[in-house]
Amino acid sequence: MDLTKLEQIRPFTYQIPASWRADMQVPARILGDAAILEAASADRSLEQLVNTACLPGIVTHALAMPDVHQGYGFPIGGVAATAAPDGVISPGGVGYDINCGVRLLGTHLLQEEILPHLDGLISALYAHCPSGVGKGGPIRLNAKELRQVLERGARWALKRGIADENDLERTEGDGCLAGADAGCVSERALERGRDQIGTLGAGNHFIEVDVVAEVFDATAADRMGLAPDKVVVQIHCGSRGLGHQVCTDYVKRFQKAIHTYGLRLPDRELVCAPLSSPEGRDYLAAMTAAANYAFANRQVLTHAIRHSFEQALAGKVARHQVFQIYDIAHNMARIETHPVDGRPRKLCVHRKGATRAFGPGSPELPPAYRDIGQPVLVPGSMGTCSWVLRGTQTAMEQTFGSSCHGAGRRLSRRQARKQFKGVTLRRELEHSGIQVMAGSMSGLAEEAPGAYKDVNRVVDVVHGAGIATKVARLIPLAVIKG
Amino acid sequence: MPSDPAKTPSTGQCFVSSRQGLAPSLTTVGFYEEIEHTADLALKCGGPDLDSFFRSAAMGMYHLMGIGKTRPDGTLTQTVALEAMDMESLLVDWLGELAYLAETQNLMFGTIRFQTLSATRIEAVLTGCRVSHIEKVIKAVTYHNLTIQKTHEGYAATVVFDV
Repeated sequence: MDLTKLEQIRPFTYQIPASWRADMQVPARILGDAAILEAASADRSLEQLVNTACLPGIVTHALAMPDVHQGYGFPIGGVAATAAPDGVISPGGVGYDINCGVRLLGTHLLQEEILPHLDGLISALYAHCPSGVGKGGPIRLNAKELRQVLERGARWALKRGIADENDLERTEGDGCLAGADAGCVSERALERGRDQIGTLGAGNHFIEVDVVAEVFDATAADRMGLAPDKVVVQIHCGSRGLGHQVCTDYVKRFQKAIHTYGLRLPDRELVCAPLSSPEGRDYLAAMTAAANYAFANRQVLTHAIRHSFEQALAGKVARHQVFQIYDIAHNMARIETHPVDGRPRKLCVHRKGATRAFGPGSPELPPAYRDIGQPVLVPGSMGTCSWVLRGTQTAMEQTFGSSCHGAGRRLSRRQARKQFKGVTLRRELEHSGIQVMAGSMSGLAEEAPGAYKDVNRVVDVVHGAGIATKVARLIPLAVIKG
Repeated sequence: MPSDPAKTPSTGQCFVSSRQGLAPSLTTVGFYEEIEHTADLALKCGGPDLDSFFRSAAMGMYHLMGIGKTRPDGTLTQTVALEAMDMESLLVDWLGELAYLAETQNLMFGTIRFQTLSATRIEAVLTGCRVSHIEKVIKAVTYHNLTIQKTHEGYAATVVFDV
């Protein structure tokens, strides 16, 4: 794509006009700087963004966040809103790993308190938080329980005694999204999810022990329980095999739906169906069920983390307890109300590799954050920093209340395996003060920091664009991976 | 495209050869080759006929999963019956079925006997074993960039897998 043809409409925001291609319904906007745009033009990201702008019923504009890279259908980092009830819903706009997301947990510990006990803590985390290929979880659900997980999400965990009300309140959607229907989830998806609850998986999923390196917004940080040198824990994982199967099932079902409803699409992975159709309603209900599964999954892992902290630290530090700061999804479609041409409209907002970033005053936010805006969690790659930001009114006005989700990959997995060796990488990370426990050295190599783009640059763009503002920067002490 | 005149397409066995570097792997008929993809895994595969094409796709996916270096031998059998609206969907469903059996039961199949194989239908008997370790689970088979090309040399496609 000839980048000189893009129009800069405001700082860090560039637009591809709707006239760019005949089948575009709306313009496409990319948040970025010159380097990010250059990188985006090197793969199919921008083409996919233009394809997204062709979705039936899309409103205002399609968006790409600054961590954009090539995906399936939508680019990763893509945001698109379609008008309910007759606009479409697209599984490609959510992603295969439904409700892949990040949870941030706070502690009362400073770095100096935890360092003498870090080895023991990491061993406990690795033992109690199943990770890697083929690892089943601590709980094998029967059919009734699995149904409850799908329909109640983290609230199932509350009833089971492995969550508290604060955990749910400080989770997007209270960890229990309405509208889930386990009956819309296939037997195959249920089978894949039955023994995976409470597991991390592999790939780019992780648990990370971090320390707050820098605070940029003291008021917001204080509200979130963050302060310089405070220890925190991140969980990054999603709905595991169940979510992937839900997406697979409905991508297949929608191959026929597009013919039924006469929908013309530039990319088969953008298959969709009208929200008001049986297919669209079923997918939304199944996606919501898978999203609840992911919230429950991260809750079970939280329980395991609390157990690990207790096992490794009780009696050795003053306060070993762990509390919830926030939990966000970065692969999701939600029915939300946003202004379009000055009027509130009900929309289906697809965020694929993008997070919700609601601003101050949003009634969806818990009381603790309602006046400061929603915490926005942006994990970096292993070995680099991660970020906590907060959502803004600007995001509500310009990006359907959305922001970026991470760094985005720069190298393919094969390129990363060729350039980096897992054993060497682990040694280098440990040399720089980051302990690593990983089940697969080739998997570790694939997740090398050099395989990812610069998360600081991504965060600088969203901060500069005003859609999320910096609260704190975190640096890793330890990483647990599959 | 190499072919093995000693074996008829409907009953041929597929041997997986180990692969070094970027050179494509040869099966007795057909080929597969890992290609670049930023976030996930991608495979180019092909064969002179439908049998070898679908067989190579399967063996190529097994290779990406980290069990491609040895032939998954054994006596466990599994029947597969699939019907799809077009060949791309059939390929996605075929590989998805194999990925599902690997993820949920650690089953991998070195011998594939197609009883029916057309552009929209597969009936097959698979023979293999349970493997003790899978390096990488294929979470989903995608339609990304999936167009099966048919030329005078046979069939070829690039398949992207979500991992």
